[in-house]
Amino acid sequence: MSGVSLKGIVKAYGALQVVHGIDLEVQEKEFVVLVGPSGCGKSTTLRMIAGLEEISDGDLTIDGRHVNRVAPKDRDVAMVFQNYALYPHLNVADNIAFGLRIRKESKETIASSVEEVGGILGLTPYLERRPADLSGGQRQRVAMGRAIVRRPKVFLFDEPLSNLDAKLRTQMRAEIKRLHKRLGVTSIYVTHDQVEAMTLADRIVVMHDGRIEQIGSPMELFLNPVNTFVAGFLGSPPMNMVNARIVAGDLGPVAEFGDNKIQLDQVASLQNSVGQDVVLGIRPEFVTVADDTVPHRVSVEVDLIETLGSEALIHASLQGDPFVIRTETVGQMNVLDGISGFTIAPHLIRVFDAKTGVSLPGQAVGQ
Amino acid sequence: MANMNLYSRGDKLFVIVNMVLLGLFTISTLYPFIYIASLSMSTGFEARAGNVILTPVGFTLEAYKQVLSEPQFWISYRNTFIYTIGGVLMSLAFIIPGAYALSRPQLYGRRFWNLAVAFTMWFNAGLIPFFLNMRDLGLLDSYFGIIIGFAVNGFNIILLRNFFEAIPQSFEEAARMDGANEFQVLWKVYMPLSKPAIATVALFCIVSRWNGFFWAMVLLQDEDKIPLQVYLRHVIVELSDDEEFATTLLTSAYSFETVSAAIIVCSIIPILLIYPFLQKYFSKGILLGGVKE
Amino acid sequence: MSTDPDFTGPTTENLVFDAAEAQRRRRGSTLVRIGDHLKREWQLYAMLLPTILWLIIFLYKPMYGLQIAFKDYSIFRGVADSPWIGLEHFNTLFNNDQFLRAVKNTVIISFYSLLFGFPMPILLALMFNEVLNQTFKKSAQTIVYLPHFISSVIIAGIVITAFSPSAGIVNTVLGWLGIDSIYFLTKPEWFRPIFVGTGIWQEAGFQSIVYLAAIAGVSPTLYESAVVDGASRWQMMWKITVPSIMPTIIIMLIIRIGNILEVSFEMIILLYQPATYETADVVNTFIYRQGLQGGQYDFAAAAGLFNAVVAFVLVMTANTISKRYSRTSLW
Repeated sequence: MSGVSLKGIVKAYGALQVVHGIDLEVQEKEFVVLVGPSGCGKSTTLRMIAGLEEISDGDLTIDGRHVNRVAPKDRDVAMVFQNYALYPHLNVADNIAFGLRIRKESKETIASSVEEVGGILGLTPYLERRPADLSGGQRQRVAMGRAIVRRPKVFLFDEPLSNLDAKLRTQMRAEIKRLHKRLGVTSIYVTHDQVEAMTLADRIVVMHDGRIEQIGSPMELFLNPVNTFVAGFLGSPPMNMVNARIVAGDLGPVAEFGDNKIQLDQVASLQNSVGQDVVLGIRPEFVTVADDTVPHRVSVEVDLIETLGSEALIHASLQGDPFVIRTETVGQMNVLDGISGFTIAPHLIRVFDAKTGVSLPGQAVGQ
Repeated sequence: MANMNLYSRGDKLFVIVNMVLLGLFTISTLYPFIYIASLSMSTGFEARAGNVILTPVGFTLEAYKQVLSEPQFWISYRNTFIYTIGGVLMSLAFIIPGAYALSRPQLYGRRFWNLAVAFTMWFNAGLIPFFLNMRDLGLLDSYFGIIIGFAVNGFNIILLRNFFEAIPQSFEEAARMDGANEFQVLWKVYMPLSKPAIATVALFCIVSRWNGFFWAMVLLQDEDKIPLQVYLRHVIVELSDDEEFATTLLTSAYSFETVSAAIIVCSIIPILLIYPFLQKYFSKGILLGGVKE
Repeated sequence: MSTDPDFTGPTTENLVFDAAEAQRRRRGSTLVRIGDHLKREWQLYAMLLPTILWLIIFLYKPMYGLQIAFKDYSIFRGVADSPWIGLEHFNTLFNNDQFLRAVKNTVIISFYSLLFGFPMPILLALMFNEVLNQTFKKSAQTIVYLPHFISSVIIAGIVITAFSPSAGIVNTVLGWLGIDSIYFLTKPEWFRPIFVGTGIWQEAGFQSIVYLAAIAGVSPTLYESAVVDGASRWQMMWKITVPSIMPTIIIMLIIRIGNILEVSFEMIILLYQPATYETADVVNTFIYRQGLQGGQYDFAAAAGLFNAVVAFVLVMTANTISKRYSRTSLW
């Protein structure tokens, strides 16, 4: 199986350690996305897998072979670079063929491979062109062509879409997904864009300060973030964070902040945490807007409503902190004007320890 | 901005005065060349009498005949070609791989190596130790000595290194992932990408080789090995002091002055031929190498 | 908290990594890592090796040879085996009138070159910037850059021919003005003006490139807003262009001052003669005569060492100052 396994992978530059021991098992044919803010060590990790950075400590196995000390060219991996790194002096066909020529493949093999890859990526009409004469999307495709032509065991993508405009990015994202479905090659993809991570990944690895924060499927991470960092990183607009204290109520635990009270889920860990300071994670999408007539609503001061068409973003403030609500517009435009608060189902609130930021155990939203 | 009609009267005057002054400077730069060219095509008698001002007086190519019939002229011309071509190839063979290695971040001791190169630009042992060293190496009076002895130059290395550094590292990485070794990365990717910088360095080398005379004069005694510039110096500088000799050379057809001028013209021509390329690249090159760590 | 059932890897809880442990495991493997590195990157070192060897053989070895400045050097004994004599050569040197004269001449000639030669390229660049006709600008630039690429022998040849007492154009023109022919190159009082003037004629155009590049970096919007404000071109030149390129001017000035000992002695060798030594002889021509022509290698090497050390100090000082000034180093 052509999986990739990282065990305790460390990267240090002298005394400065930037990746603090990564453990990750990438299954065969899986599409794994490493995501995190810049400087979180995701690119460094990818480059260690590629062999472009020496591994300071830990073990890296590709397809069951220990490759820590194997040269990049002998790891049987291919990489798509952020700036594509297309050779400007070579035309598209020669760019794609570069690796095969270096490896001294026969002329016939090279010609047929280039033709096949050109066909797969829709590059056939452009094979004679130089990179400078291509559009951004076409360059991106050539970069992928150069990777797939070698039929590697693993594809590595280093922020491949970040140089494209928004529209093209959406389009190429879909193409990468389709290509992965068709070729079924194990892929590791690095991005700082959580939307890309959500749409592309079988599993997402959220990284922060050289450590893995959480690994899981996109929905898993979206619904059940293990800490406030993951909660704040995934989702757009991000999860609202509200400081509160757990008190006992008639129907189990209740979160209390200011004059407001919200019913929480009847989970053991919450029931046992009465009196504890917590942070409530409330997804902008999970709340139901309410006007003055609704009882038990949490009241907010509405600041601004951005109407985006099918939905609207309500920018409000709650206890002086910004609070964003995302809501449907169709059929409730007249309601939006009178909004003064919201309600939310108890199980959709995520409760984090206020000190550590870690999610209190036992909470789970089913997918 | 370029529309003159939008200018005030003062601005128009300023632009015109500026152009006239610049024109004068340009003419004064050009004039000596025209003067020499005219001199070379004038008769010896007119040249001697100081009658040549702008155009040839009593047009004749006798001086050129005289120059071209001198075997030493051809020997030294040939030698200059050997030193120039050999020297440029030798320089590039050292400088390109050296500059590439110095530009790679993964090179251990990169700062130290770079400093070792830069230091030679700041501190120079001087004429005597260099000469004695060449003598000890047995490189006096040798083609090879001239070609190898001046092959590397810190400025050119740093210029090319800066250019290589400006090429995104991902080109090297992509090529290495494609299976290329460092030599292939340099040969198939970085060199094609650096044509302008390499051309600049090559042109710098060509010019300094073509024009170099001091060390050739010091290191070469054998007349069969001297380059054009040394021969030129012999004729136009040393012999000019010899008024008696100059007078013996005077015939109605050519004089010492016209012959000197003709040799000058002959030796400038190759530089003029590559000058369009020089102009294309040197400003880039200067800026590349000039201001960067 | 729920977890992906397929997921077999460690969870966040056991990812706490002990950095000290990693440090401990890494220690002692330095040699292994250097070995790995060389195995990976030996080709880079192979590329670097010829250049480094060349530098050692042709530039660093002569620095070792500089020790003859403190020795009674004999060709037969060689550099290493010649006996040490301490500072004797330097004593002789600083009591040698010719050497002191050469030092003085070097500084004076450099000073004149700086005084008259430094402003010229700036002026030229400013003037080129004000030319509207691109064809004129291009051809003028083509011409004024040219002399830089002409060898000093040819330049000297042109100077000798032009200033020749019998046939030279300069004396012809003086003749028209009723002035008697002057044999310029034998007159000590004329050497410096001719040398400095030739230098300006040869290099001013080429040196203007640096300033033209600096001017090209000035944002056009500055000029546009000045035009809207009603500024004349003269005013824009002084109020916008000159201040904008001032950092470049200052850096170039610092470099020039740092290189004050660097007089193009090749040109002096070509133009001077015993009659003009009095004003023309500089340190390097002195070394050339004493050492290469006269065979006093050790004595001349001492003069060279003195020159090199002073030059090094000046250049490093200039580099430090300009680094501080511009935050970019010159090399």
